[in-house]
Amino acid sequence: MFRRRIFGEIEPGRSKFWRYLRYALLTLALFGAGFTLYLDFRVRSEFEGRRFALPARIYARPLELHAGLRISQADVIDELRENGYREGITEGDSGWFVRDGDWLEIAVRPFRFWDGPQNALRVRANFDANGVTKVQGAQAQDLPLARVEPLPIGGIYPGNNQDRVLVRLSEVPKPLVQALIATEDRAFYTHHGYDLRGIARAAWSFVRGHGLQGGSTLTQQLVKNFFLTPERTLQRKGTEFIMAVLLELHYGKEEILETYLNEIYLGQDRDRAIHGVGLASLYYFGKTVDRLTLPECALLVALVKGPGVYDPYRHPDRALERRNLVLRETRNVDSITPEEYMLARSTSLGVNAKAARGTSPHPAFVDLVYRHLRRDYDEADLRSEGLRIFTTLDPRVQAKAERVLERRIAQFDREKRFGEPGLEGAVVVTDSQTGEVEALVGGRDARYRGFNRAVDAARPVGSLLKPAVYLTALADPAHYTLITPLDDGPFVWKSRGAPDWEPMNYDRQFHGAVPLRTAFAQSYNVATARLGTDLGVSRVLGTVQRLGIEREMQPYASTLLGALDLSPLEVAQMYQTIASGGFRSPLRAIREVTTQDGKPLKRYPLAVEQAFPAEPVYLITAAMQGVVREGTGQSLKNWLPPETAVAGKTGTTDEQRDAWFAGFTGDKLAIVWIGYDDNRSAHLTGAGAALPVWGELMASLAVEPLALPKPQGIETVLVDPQSGLRADGGCNGALELPFAQGSAPAERAPCATAAGVAVQEFKQNAKNWWQRLWGR
Amino acid sequence: MTRFVRQLLNLLAVTAFLAGCASVPRPEPGPPPSPFPAAPAHAESPAIASLMDSARADFAAGRVANAAASLERAVRIEPRNPRLWQQLARVRFEQHDYVQAESCAARSSSWAGSDDALRADNWRLIAQAREARGDSEGARAALDAAERLR
Repeated sequence: MFRRRIFGEIEPGRSKFWRYLRYALLTLALFGAGFTLYLDFRVRSEFEGRRFALPARIYARPLELHAGLRISQADVIDELRENGYREGITEGDSGWFVRDGDWLEIAVRPFRFWDGPQNALRVRANFDANGVTKVQGAQAQDLPLARVEPLPIGGIYPGNNQDRVLVRLSEVPKPLVQALIATEDRAFYTHHGYDLRGIARAAWSFVRGHGLQGGSTLTQQLVKNFFLTPERTLQRKGTEFIMAVLLELHYGKEEILETYLNEIYLGQDRDRAIHGVGLASLYYFGKTVDRLTLPECALLVALVKGPGVYDPYRHPDRALERRNLVLRETRNVDSITPEEYMLARSTSLGVNAKAARGTSPHPAFVDLVYRHLRRDYDEADLRSEGLRIFTTLDPRVQAKAERVLERRIAQFDREKRFGEPGLEGAVVVTDSQTGEVEALVGGRDARYRGFNRAVDAARPVGSLLKPAVYLTALADPAHYTLITPLDDGPFVWKSRGAPDWEPMNYDRQFHGAVPLRTAFAQSYNVATARLGTDLGVSRVLGTVQRLGIEREMQPYASTLLGALDLSPLEVAQMYQTIASGGFRSPLRAIREVTTQDGKPLKRYPLAVEQAFPAEPVYLITAAMQGVVREGTGQSLKNWLPPETAVAGKTGTTDEQRDAWFAGFTGDKLAIVWIGYDDNRSAHLTGAGAALPVWGELMASLAVEPLALPKPQGIETVLVDPQSGLRADGGCNGALELPFAQGSAPAERAPCATAAGVAVQEFKQNAKNWWQRLWGR
Repeated sequence: MTRFVRQLLNLLAVTAFLAGCASVPRPEPGPPPSPFPAAPAHAESPAIASLMDSARADFAAGRVANAAASLERAVRIEPRNPRLWQQLARVRFEQHDYVQAESCAARSSSWAGSDDALRADNWRLIAQAREARGDSEGARAALDAAERLR
């Protein structure tokens, strides 16, 4: 009806052709208008609503310099270099250091910490063999504490792994903008989103069969990167054209330019895409964009055309040539003087030494951080809100842990040659008192972002579970002390519905009656199995739980000897509770989270909970020191002096599939696991494979000796090891051992009452008595 | 019996006041009293002293979380310093985290060595924390423990 009214009066005689053409044109116009409206809607909503997705940025712990800090000058310098500090004075700038004998002068960069901004800072630190002796400020005044800004160790990136650091146009140096406009779009400030001469050039090239190329204004380039796919078709060119005009219609040149400078793709760092001039200047030159020199600006502009083709690391010649072309174009439009041009031309590329790190150099640790963050934050927020995550990673400890593990595993692989895939390993290092995770290595190739063994490889722990058995016993001082005789004779455990369990010792011998501390130090399986079943499996598992293991455990007797799969991180949690005197602190990898501009969002405070009374923990720690002093961990003396008094435990599982060492000093706790991913026998023992990694690592860290505070309910008593009775100065080889108050032997050993020649005889008698008692 | 309990509670309140800790319920607005003893009885290392100073300042300004953060920084440097753990316990108490207040006080005592006065302070702190949690019996036991250390 509608059609009739309008078109029905059309003169007959007009050809149908014209009628249809008018239909077509009208439809096209309508469609075109609709499409333009749609594009306009997209341009406005997306450009306005668009906030660049900013990855969460993850930082290591800051270095806190103070007198008494145990760190060598060389290690501080390593960390500074890692953080992009350069050696040599640059007055008026920060981010450098100078060595002067025992002194180290550092120009610390300004940084926004969790608790507020810290200005640039000049620090002088003095070192001796033990570490930092003095910290001074610029005027040689003593500083109690100087905090160096933390090393960025990665991020949690948007799905496309785009990384950027947003900058304001006002921060971008003029030469950069001038060079960009001279090279990419000279008419930028006057055109309306398109450049007719550019289009003509492009059309001419298309007609000549050179394909579609060039002729894009900055606005068009931005539209292309922002809204469109990279294919080159006429249709897409048309859309780009309309959108560019619309963008110019709605927004000012400054806004468009600022967005362009933040959007532009300028490089590739492994899996991480470098976007925007803010990040590019940090990535290539290690400085913020406002400090770039003319030739540095020109290099960034050179990269616009193709960050891969002109990669200054892989193709320095091409990059230099292109940079100089940019300089020439900039000179051609008179933005720089001939002198500036000549000087800039003769400068070398000046890019940072390449330290490819991709999304993170420590993917295992970042993975742990990410998992913790996921409990409190949305994935989308983590990948786009630019959160700043302050973690507990100690770059020095991490670097050494990675290096030692990698080298040792390579060595074992060479010695044993069990074929591919090679041996693997994992290391966890924590602060033994606070439970902060200082290092986490998830495999021999620490850069590899994949299976995170430190967190995800649950392996049988073997003898690493023994401390839980003995701790359960020592918590009952009425029945067990360090010298209580345990029976290491043949043992069969029968339980209904299960095959008999007949544990064997590693040396396939039985050792008869052995004092508790010896059974532990020598890691006797049979004595431990008997002790554990006497105590009750569920009671021991209760101890394991209180030590911090949350996973479900089967109440089988074999669990006592470590038929329990735990990850290295879980083992660390368990030993942490012992290392901190019975106070359990959940292991932490994150200290604080702030918004992009430094507003505190969340703290992860240090939390402690007393899981055990101090006394039994003191006793089990003494027993663990025995492991290292005279037991299965003796070879640690090859790395650490006896004064370090390490408390440790070796672990080797059936057919030597897993090699473990767990232990702690006064300030550090570390867990090392070595084995094959596919559970093959590794033919390596805890003492033979994991312990050397542990020892070498700890020796490189200048660890503090372990000196436990003696709890009030503990007394130390001189004991005659032969008889297990109280000794005094008259006894040869008497040992000073800790006992829970009231549990020490009251009876005096024969040697303690006699003197001189009689001692030996009495000792012999005592021994006989001991042997009679146990019938062997 | 009730009189005995009341006396104990009075004693508790006085102790809390002397220790400089606001006990619950706190009087209306007003700045919270500082949980930091005015003059430290022990000479701390400069690093620790400066962190304790800034914790004190943060606390006075009502930035309790920052005070806690400074104390944690100090604990990282000297985890065996019982006075730091005690201050941390006081700050946790102010943050109404009574479980942590008690744990930190216990941790402080574990490093207290022969310092019975410090240990007694910790027991009193534990008593306050237990009281605040509604565990009067536990509070009484803690006060008894403090008394025994006199």
